[in-house]
Amino acid sequence: MSIFEYNGSAVVAMVGKNCFAIASDRRLGVNLQTIATDFQRIFKIHDKLYIGLSGLATDVQTLYQRLIFRHKLYQLREERDMKPQTFASLVSAILYEKRFGPYFCQPVIAGLGDDDVPFICTMDCIGAKELAKDFVVSGTASESLYGACESMYKPNMEPEELFETISQALLSSVDRDCLSGWGGHVLLVTSTEVQERTLKGRMD
Amino acid sequence: MHVIVEGDRERMARFAADAPTRGGFSFDLCQRNEMLLKKGTQLPTFRKTGTTIVGLVFEDGVILGADTRATEGPIVADKNCEKIHYMAPNIYCCGAGTAADTEAVTDMVSSQLQLHRYATGRESRVVTALTLLKSHLFSYQGHVSAALVLGGVDITGPHLHTVYPHGSTDTLPFATMGSGSLAAMAVFESKFREGLTRDEGIKLVSEAICSGIFNDLGSGSNVDVCVITRGQTEYLRNHQLPNPRTYVSSRGYNFLKGHTEVLSTKITPLKSKVEAPAEVDAMEE
Amino acid sequence: MKLDLSGLQSFPSIPGGAVDDLGVDLFAAPSFQLPACSDFDGFQKDAIQMVKPAKGTTTLAFIFKEGVIVAADSRASMGGYISSQSVKKIIEINPYMLGTMAGGAADCQFWHRNLGIKCRLHELANKRRISVTGASKLLANILYSYRGMGLSVGTMIAGWDEKGPGLYYVDSEGGRLKGTRFSVGSGSPYAYGVLDSGYRFDMTVEEAAELARRSIYHATFRDGASGGVASVYHVGPDGWKKLSGDDVGELHYKYYPVAPTPVEQEMTDAPAA
Repeated sequence: MSIFEYNGSAVVAMVGKNCFAIASDRRLGVNLQTIATDFQRIFKIHDKLYIGLSGLATDVQTLYQRLIFRHKLYQLREERDMKPQTFASLVSAILYEKRFGPYFCQPVIAGLGDDDVPFICTMDCIGAKELAKDFVVSGTASESLYGACESMYKPNMEPEELFETISQALLSSVDRDCLSGWGGHVLLVTSTEVQERTLKGRMD
Repeated sequence: MHVIVEGDRERMARFAADAPTRGGFSFDLCQRNEMLLKKGTQLPTFRKTGTTIVGLVFEDGVILGADTRATEGPIVADKNCEKIHYMAPNIYCCGAGTAADTEAVTDMVSSQLQLHRYATGRESRVVTALTLLKSHLFSYQGHVSAALVLGGVDITGPHLHTVYPHGSTDTLPFATMGSGSLAAMAVFESKFREGLTRDEGIKLVSEAICSGIFNDLGSGSNVDVCVITRGQTEYLRNHQLPNPRTYVSSRGYNFLKGHTEVLSTKITPLKSKVEAPAEVDAMEE
Repeated sequence: MKLDLSGLQSFPSIPGGAVDDLGVDLFAAPSFQLPACSDFDGFQKDAIQMVKPAKGTTTLAFIFKEGVIVAADSRASMGGYISSQSVKKIIEINPYMLGTMAGGAADCQFWHRNLGIKCRLHELANKRRISVTGASKLLANILYSYRGMGLSVGTMIAGWDEKGPGLYYVDSEGGRLKGTRFSVGSGSPYAYGVLDSGYRFDMTVEEAAELARRSIYHATFRDGASGGVASVYHVGPDGWKKLSGDDVGELHYKYYPVAPTPVEQEMTDAPAA
C-alpha cells in the first residue's frame, strides 16, 4: 500500500470567472479504519490564498506549520501578503529541499493574485510545479477526480455555478474511493468575500 | 534527561531560525521514511516527464523542441507543461526525467549564470552552463535524475549538448533525449543534413517531436519549439497542436443552483486592501 | 444521489429447473485443471496478486427466538477503488437456506451455487431437505480439500431445518463453527460491537432486524471497505424473507439527523480605528 493511502484524501481546486474554489474531503483514516470525519486539509495562508494538502496527515500538519511560519516572516519583512505565484515557489522550494527524504504531501495551491486573477497549481511531493488554467486535483481519489473534472468543468463559471460543479465533482469522485469522503469542505473565494461550506455526503 | 550545553543552545537557536535555509538538500526525514519503507509501504511516484526532447544545429543557430506531456505513473498529470527551460537570454535547455529535478537544476544554474553575468557584464557561454549542470549532476551520482538537451548561441557560435543524469555530456550537431528519443532520432538520422535553413530546421524538429508524440506512450500533446540565433531568441510555445480535444460536449454539464446539499455556510466579507494586514497580532509574542 | 439497487433484487428460480444438457456430470466432484508449471505455489501466489479478489465486507448473522437474521453490506472494492455499490452478498441457496459472502467474490459465488446443487440433489435422493448442519459440512469439506491452494472464502450458512434454526461459520482455511452469533469481513469488529451490546434472545423480528441493520450501518461508517446498502433477511419456519434493503447513505442521516445550519455571515467591521 502506498504511503499516500495510509490516511486517504481528496483535494481539488477549480478556476471560475474572477474567482476560484478549493475543496477537500473530511475523512481521516488509518488504512481502512475511519478515525475522524471532520479533518481539515485546506488551510488559509491569507484572505485570498489557500493551500490544500493531501497525503500523510502528520506531514500535512508539519508542512502547514512551516508554511505559515515562512509566510509570517515574509509579512514582517515585506509588510504585504505573498502573491500566489511566490507562495507556490516557496512551497516548491521547501519540498525540493527534501528531495531525498520527502514530505508525503501533494499540495494544491489556489489564490487570487493582482487584479483578482485566479491562480491554481499543484505539485508532486518533491515540488514539481504544475500550473493549470482550469482545475487541479490530488489525493487518493485523484484518478476519479481527473475524470469528473475533465467532463464537468467549463471555463468562466460564475461563483455559484462553480460551487455546484466542484462539489458534484468531489462528491461523485469520493463515492468511488474507499479511503476518502465522509462529507466535503468547499471554499469559494471571490474578490469581495469568502464562502466556506460543508457538504452533505455519503458516510460510508 | 537532556542537559542543554552551550553547543546545543547554539544549535537550537539556529534551528528555531532555520527558516530561510542555507540551501542544499535536507536529509532529516530520510530515517523516518526508511522506517516506513521497511514496514511495507511503497514510496510515492514522482511526477516524471516521460518525454521526447530534441535539438539541432542549423545554419545560423540552434533549434530546441519538446513535447508537452507530464505523467505520474499511467496518469497524464499535465497535458500542456513546459519542458524547454530558460537558462540565459541566449541559452535554453530541454529537460527529461523527474520533473522536480529538471526544474530545480535548470532554475539553479540559470540563477548562477545571471549572477555571473552581473559580475562579468558579459553574455553567458553555453559551456559555462554545461559545466555547472554536469558538476551538479555528477556530485549526486545520478540520484538527481535529469536528462537534458542544452542549446544556445554565444560568442563562440552555436552549441548543442546533451547531459545525462550521472553527469556525462555529449556535443552533437543533432540530439534527442527522453523516452521518445528513439522515435525522434529515427527522424533525425534519416533527414538531418548540415546547413539547414531556419524553416527547414523548425520543420524537422517538429517532425521529430511528432514522431515521439505519436509513437511513444510517455510523450504526447503539443509541440514546443525554441529557435536561438545570434542576438535573437524565439520561443514558439505550442508551435503545433496535433492533439486537440475532441471529446468535449458543446454544452457541458449544467448543475442547478442549490442542487448540492449543504450542511453549513459561513460567509466572510473581505476587507479592502487599504487596511493594514490582519495578521499583525504575531507581534504580540 | 440514489443508488441503483436492481442488482440486489432476488429473482424466482427459473421455471423448468436445471436441465442438464451441458453434458456435465453433476454427481462427480468438481475439479479444476492445474496449471502446467514446476512452481505451483509461486504461480498461485502471483495469480492471486494479479486478479486480486474483491475484499472488504461486513456480513453478520444471529439466531434468536423467532429464527435467524442475516444481514450484509453491498460494496465491492479493489484496493482503494470501489468497483460496485450493489453487490448481492447474501446468496439464496434454497428457500430455507442462505449463505453470506466475504473474501473472494468469485470463490463465494461459485461454491455457494455448487452447494445449492448438492443440496437439491440430497433433497431428491432422500425426499427431505438437507439440514443446515449437513449443508455446511458439505461446503466445509470441499473447501478443506482445496486448502492452501488460494481459495478465499469466509461464509455463514444460515437456515431453518427439522431441528429449527441453524447457523454455521465456514471458511477456506477449513474451519467450521456452530454458533448463535457471527460476523465476517473487514467490518466485523465494528459490527460485533453493536451486535453484542444490543443482542437479546427474546427479540421480536422487528427488533432483531433493526439491530442487524444498525450493526451493518455502524460497520460501513467506520470501515472504508464496507458500504452501499444494508440488506436484512429473516429465516423462519416458512423459509427466508428479505425484510429490508436500506441505502446507508440515507440511513446515516436517519440515525443522526443533521439540519442545515443557518448561513453564518460575518458582519463587515466598522471602519477600522
